[in-house]
Amino acid sequence: MRYNPFATYHPAVAFAYLACAIVISMAAMQPVFVAISLVGSVACSAVCRGARATVRSFAWIVPLVAVVTIANPLFSASGITELFRIGPRAVYAESLVFGACSGGMLASVFLWFACYSACMDSANSMALFGNSLPVVSLMVSQVMRLVPQFVLRGQNIAAAQDAVSAASPATRRQRLGGRFRIVSVLMSWGMEDGIERSDAMRARGYDCGAKRTTYKRYAFGRADAFAMAVIAVLAAASGACAAALCLRFAFYPTLSGWGAWWGYVPYALLMAVPGVLRFKEWLVWR
Amino acid sequence: MAIIDVSHFSFSYAPGQSRQRSVLSDVSFQVEEGEFCVLVGPTGCGKTTLLRSLKPELSPVGTRAGSISVMGLPLFEGGELVPADRGGIDRKTSAAAIGFVMQDPAMQIVCDTVWHELAFGLENVGTPQEEMRRRVAEVAHFFGIEPWVRQSTEHLSGGQMQLVNLAAVLALRPRLILLDEPTAQLDPNARKRFLFLLARVNRELGLTVVMATHAPEDVSEYAARRIDLGDIGELGSRDDLCESLRPRWAARRSSLKAQPALQAKEASFRYAREDAWVLRGLDVSVAAGSVHAIVGGNGSGKSTLLKLLAGVEKPQRGKIVNRLAASQAYLPQDPKALFVCDSVAEELAEWRRRCGYSEADEQVALERFGLADHAFQHPYDLSGGQRQKLALAKLLLTDPQLLFLDEPTKGLDPASCAEEARLVRALADEGRTVVMVTHDLDFALAAADVVSMVFDGQLACTEPVESFFANNIVYRPNGRSRLFGALL
Repeated sequence: MRYNPFATYHPAVAFAYLACAIVISMAAMQPVFVAISLVGSVACSAVCRGARATVRSFAWIVPLVAVVTIANPLFSASGITELFRIGPRAVYAESLVFGACSGGMLASVFLWFACYSACMDSANSMALFGNSLPVVSLMVSQVMRLVPQFVLRGQNIAAAQDAVSAASPATRRQRLGGRFRIVSVLMSWGMEDGIERSDAMRARGYDCGAKRTTYKRYAFGRADAFAMAVIAVLAAASGACAAALCLRFAFYPTLSGWGAWWGYVPYALLMAVPGVLRFKEWLVWR
Repeated sequence: MAIIDVSHFSFSYAPGQSRQRSVLSDVSFQVEEGEFCVLVGPTGCGKTTLLRSLKPELSPVGTRAGSISVMGLPLFEGGELVPADRGGIDRKTSAAAIGFVMQDPAMQIVCDTVWHELAFGLENVGTPQEEMRRRVAEVAHFFGIEPWVRQSTEHLSGGQMQLVNLAAVLALRPRLILLDEPTAQLDPNARKRFLFLLARVNRELGLTVVMATHAPEDVSEYAARRIDLGDIGELGSRDDLCESLRPRWAARRSSLKAQPALQAKEASFRYAREDAWVLRGLDVSVAAGSVHAIVGGNGSGKSTLLKLLAGVEKPQRGKIVNRLAASQAYLPQDPKALFVCDSVAEELAEWRRRCGYSEADEQVALERFGLADHAFQHPYDLSGGQRQKLALAKLLLTDPQLLFLDEPTKGLDPASCAEEARLVRALADEGRTVVMVTHDLDFALAAADVVSMVFDGQLACTEPVESFFANNIVYRPNGRSRLFGALL
């Protein structure tokens, strides 16, 4: 995404932020927390993936939340505030709220993961984990190179075979056989490539006995450290508040134990981080 | 002191291997530090074997005699590999100090992004991170790679890939760079750019360059030394070839007025909805029984046009009218896409039942294409030229009336190109229609009846080959080339 506010930071910042957001979203089953994380995830998604993509994902998020919300009171009849009855079953407000919370949590976690994949591509992930796992990082890079090559090649082979109409398959069995042939061509071609590619790798010193190092594309600067510190402080505070508030909170028999309003402030601030970064950007380019 | 010293070196592949046995016999030469040296010879003369013998990691398996030393260190003595602990080259030194660039640009690329590819060798030899950044930056700058350093290697052109390969080798700061026909698969513009940069590496950085090629005239202004390993044929002039082809052109002129076998009518095409149009309202008409060459620059859309004509892709606007659609064959850029069997003979037999030809026909094809001695080889063990012939033989057994050829001369030496040209002409004489895409103008001149030039998604002009090249001042075949020599 062009406007991704995390793009100017070290990938560790985006990773830390999204990891904290995902963990707290999943752990804090409490109406206010769920509401805050839902708003936060929508905001983050709008900032990282664009408003359009976010609106588009509503197409399945809204039905998902609706289904979970409605399903819960039908299966668990707990609570004391009776809303209405469907035949012999009573529907209580408390279990409706519980369903809405589960649905909202699910939706926000989905959105967080969508943000994660928008912010952390393979290069970013490798920049984070590559230093400790140089072999894995190289392998991922090679796979990322080979997969598109294989797909393209498969298309070329299929095209080459289809374009020979003079030898077009007469029966369905032959046609099916032709498709299997593509796989076998890909295999032998790939193996042939493998020989040459391993030569090319050895020619440039792969497995020459030296200890491999990893190219570092990102430097961890002061701005990164500052952003990390802010995220760490907010996440720790939100985590502590969430633990305390969720322990006191009860859905049944009636919604109780809301706690003090300031307990929600750290989490709200944490959720505001992507928006604030985006706002800063907007100020610069106004 | 010489940086390379080869004395009385012989090499033959171990018996049982499918390649030809004795490849090099009693080769001796020396290369001084800082020289640009070309190894010249036709396909199969042992250029690759010799170059690989200069790089310990790649030295082929077989029996040797004689000795080689590189950078003053012995590699082979009395035909035996000298191990690192007895004064030979250790692997880390060899990896960094001797660079090697192979022929196929895509095959050597290991990583998914350009920057990672540049860093790959440095990572292998354990360069510290700070030093690595500096070296990658240095070479990226030298080769003008910086604007696309973050791109994925998959989407580079062949010329760009080969530059990345050279840059990745250079990042290791070698003293010696060995290149095995590095420009054979590139189009003429990319070839010139690559060789120019290679010459800069040699002159400005003082690196020794040893390059194998079958077109030494491409580097004649840069290379001071030339070592001949075999006869590559004589140069011939374009005028002589035109003279010899004139009767043929005159005789075939009437066939160009035949009914069109294949037409594109205002065809427009793009690969995805967000992409730019590759072809916009293109019209072309291919006369039945003619050889129609489609030429144009890199990315002009000529390969796309061929796919559209062959029915592999469908135009989003306009239409393709193909009267011979039921009897067509398509030779892809890489003939490997057509090979599914374990031997040449089986390959030819694959479509026997489907198309109703006989075993005797296969024998005739083997003879005609000079593959009779290779009938039991694996198609992958053939040379590039033989592979091309096998693919053509396989396609011709289906008796197609319309043939599509995508860059049929890519990676071939002049002798094979000449054979290909004769073949295409023979096909036309049999009354078949041939449509080919090529960037090899020499080949187009030698083989085609009509030439169309694609530019900016449309045909800039379509003319009979004679007038097409007579009217072009810049975009035309070489004045002298080995292909012409081989054809005369």
